[in-house]
Amino acid sequence: MNRRGSGCLKDGPGVIGRNCRRVDGIAKVKGSAFFAADRKIDGMLLARVLRSRVPHAVLNKIDARSALEVPGVVAVYTASDIPGENRVGIIVKDEPVLVDDRIRRVGDALALVVAESEEALAAALPAIKVWYEELPGIFSPAQAMAGGAPAIHGQGNIQSVTRIVKGDADSALKEARVVISRRYTTQMVEHAYLEPEAGLAAVEDGQVTIWASTQNPHYDRREVARVLGIGQNRVRVVQAPTGGGFGGKLDISVQCLLGLAAWKSGRPVRMVYSREESMEFSPKRHPCVIDYTSACDGDGRLLAVKVKIVGDTGAYASYGPATLKRAAVHASGPYQVPNVFIEAYCVYTNNPTAGAMRGFGVPQVAFAHESQMDLLAGALGLDPFTIRLRNCFQPGSATATGQRLIQSVGIGQTIEQARAGAVQLGVLGGKR
Amino acid sequence: MLQPFNYHQPSSMEEALSLMATLPGPKKVLAGGTDLVPALRRGELSPAHVVSLKQLAEMREIKIKEGRVHIGALVTFSQLAEFRPFRGPHNLLAEAALQVGGPQIRSQGTIGGNIVNASPAGDLLPPLVALEAEVRLCRAGGERVLPLDEFLKGLGRTCIEQEEILTEAVFPVLPGQAASSFVKLGRRNSLAISRISMAAILVPGATGIIEEARLALGAVAPKPVRVPRAEALLKGRRPDPSLLEEAVTAVAETVAATLGDRPSAPYKKVAVRGVAREALIKAAPQFGCKL
Amino acid sequence: MKPFRFTATINGRPVDLPVNPHRRLLDVIRDDLGLTGTKEGCGEGECGACTVLLNGRPVNACLVLAPEAAGCEITTIEGVAPEGGLHPIQEAFLEAGAVQCGYCTPGMILAAKALLDKDLSPTDQAIKTAVSGNLCRCTGYIKIIEAVRLAAAKLSGEGDAV
Repeated sequence: MNRRGSGCLKDGPGVIGRNCRRVDGIAKVKGSAFFAADRKIDGMLLARVLRSRVPHAVLNKIDARSALEVPGVVAVYTASDIPGENRVGIIVKDEPVLVDDRIRRVGDALALVVAESEEALAAALPAIKVWYEELPGIFSPAQAMAGGAPAIHGQGNIQSVTRIVKGDADSALKEARVVISRRYTTQMVEHAYLEPEAGLAAVEDGQVTIWASTQNPHYDRREVARVLGIGQNRVRVVQAPTGGGFGGKLDISVQCLLGLAAWKSGRPVRMVYSREESMEFSPKRHPCVIDYTSACDGDGRLLAVKVKIVGDTGAYASYGPATLKRAAVHASGPYQVPNVFIEAYCVYTNNPTAGAMRGFGVPQVAFAHESQMDLLAGALGLDPFTIRLRNCFQPGSATATGQRLIQSVGIGQTIEQARAGAVQLGVLGGKR
Repeated sequence: MLQPFNYHQPSSMEEALSLMATLPGPKKVLAGGTDLVPALRRGELSPAHVVSLKQLAEMREIKIKEGRVHIGALVTFSQLAEFRPFRGPHNLLAEAALQVGGPQIRSQGTIGGNIVNASPAGDLLPPLVALEAEVRLCRAGGERVLPLDEFLKGLGRTCIEQEEILTEAVFPVLPGQAASSFVKLGRRNSLAISRISMAAILVPGATGIIEEARLALGAVAPKPVRVPRAEALLKGRRPDPSLLEEAVTAVAETVAATLGDRPSAPYKKVAVRGVAREALIKAAPQFGCKL
Repeated sequence: MKPFRFTATINGRPVDLPVNPHRRLLDVIRDDLGLTGTKEGCGEGECGACTVLLNGRPVNACLVLAPEAAGCEITTIEGVAPEGGLHPIQEAFLEAGAVQCGYCTPGMILAAKALLDKDLSPTDQAIKTAVSGNLCRCTGYIKIIEAVRLAAAKLSGEGDAV
């Protein structure tokens, strides 16, 4: 097997069909790639966030006077220190940088401590006094959608609804040979990128520069500018080498807090999350409850699907509306279905925020539509490959949303090859 | 970051024991640190003093003398796994040591730490219980030797006193014809905490019958449990597939009784059968052969 | 709490500095010595990103109190490459495409080095065991194993035979 790269230019120009070395490869194998937590600037301060231990509460007061007396502590910032807008979010601006009114989940940022040393931070955090009035929490979308449930964000807990309607699914169900209805539930998943979130910010000549572990520097820049109330031309975000993201570093983590700390203190500030903090604070894969009804004729050809997807986006929307939209668009799978009725709800709860993670809602629905295909095949005594091949997209097929697929429709070929491979490996009989 | 503490690195056992006797306030002995350091970081422990055994080289040795194996408390998992004399009848110890954590943990973690930590899932504990090991506890001006089974009191609890240091584990050498095995079931192969483990020692007699059987299970109770019913059933019989199934059933029944209605019971009651089957076949391949 | 005099050899150079005994070897390496190639992924000994060699054996620097490493020979990722070049293991990681986000890479390379320093013709199982204490969340394990195999061949002078 020849996998060895010889460098792109050795055998002439161009990179197609050649093994290429990563541009950052040498630094990474030597340990000289500077990730955000590896950076240091003289006179740099360190920062850490005081986070909520309760999932739902009205925040009354924060008293940081004792924390400020801890030797080495430079400042403690709270919501009132934010010069610009205290709400961020890629789609909906609903998440405070530092809580000003209501705590909506465990892990919400309440105060930011800036100090000369880790020791000072460790001593200061427990010295901050917080007064709050705990509210009953909502921990499932069903609870959140029920009549009379308290609204986590003011206007009801359903953040967004996506509906896809094609043909007449209800009528088609009546004519079907086999109808199968099941509920599928999927769990929350943490990305657990190996590098916890980290960043470093410095202010020079009225411009703030932030080096961060991020997947989204342009968005970060816009948010930092809004939060600081300054023009985007005065904010520079540099993506440091990023130790994995998988969608989880598309949202704001340390960027706005560091921007605030550097802006207010005038000194460089670094913040590095512990693994625990990363796990607690970072967005997750949306847990979903999927009610799925599939109907097919006697040959196993799909006639209709009816799908209701409820995704728990937790305390803040993050990428939730887009994730649930994507789940809806893909809910009928890589199959031609003439009649479709799909509804996807993105719902607020007091759970950890869910956001982007590899596949954006599609893995959740894939679990459901593929399980359904197996059940339909079983009901008709068909081989699981056969039923898929009978239904899968071909060039010229139309998707549930009406997109006409003209080329590069490889699903049928893929299924055939997977079957051949499985037979070859001896993990499958040769039957069709 | 860890909370500060006073650190001591005594250069002799006498000095270590005298520190343990005289230092005021809560203190912890530091061996490999693979459990202690994260506990300190998480703030689960906040001792005023940490007494490191680093310089006590005599505790890093494995010795076999007068029919007994002495394993110093600072012997690491790697050392156990690589100790040649443990390739024979005592290979259950090497096998168990190789199943602990990953290579990094095995380089640092010690047998003494594994014992004193007293985790129900401690990987070396079932083999040591099956070996009928004793532990030596030293204090300034005295020592005591206790059977390991008596020393372990349950989840994270032992009968070590504040001023004592566990210096070694000792057990009688197994007869040359004995065979042993250790099987662990974790959620993955590496860096996994034992869900169930089993250590087996079989001593065959001259005619191929099992003269003595010792079985110890881990992670099904607050401390390792022997399985007297299965041991008695095996004794005096010849290993074959039908005896295997009888023994496996006896083990599974013991586990069911031990676990009661704990949440893990439905899973472990079934899974233990596979663990027991594998451990017995590893110790005596005849269990797996159709005659 | 009085500082401990930390003397050791790091990457072949003697170091002698006072450290507070509650600091981890990882903190001393990264903060006091500025050798930031050693990464902290979990602080619990689960991920292996902080792997360094202590007298030739791989350890998690997050689980070692600094004074416990006093007197030892310590190798970090910065001590692997010869001056101005790359170690064959580092070459192999690049050639096999075993580097993705790069955060696990230093630990993986040191875990591989601990193996290859003792065994130049490891089985695949030995390679897997050697890196079993290191997590890669980009899930490039296949290529990492290929890289270690390739490095073994390079080191035993069969660099082109793989």
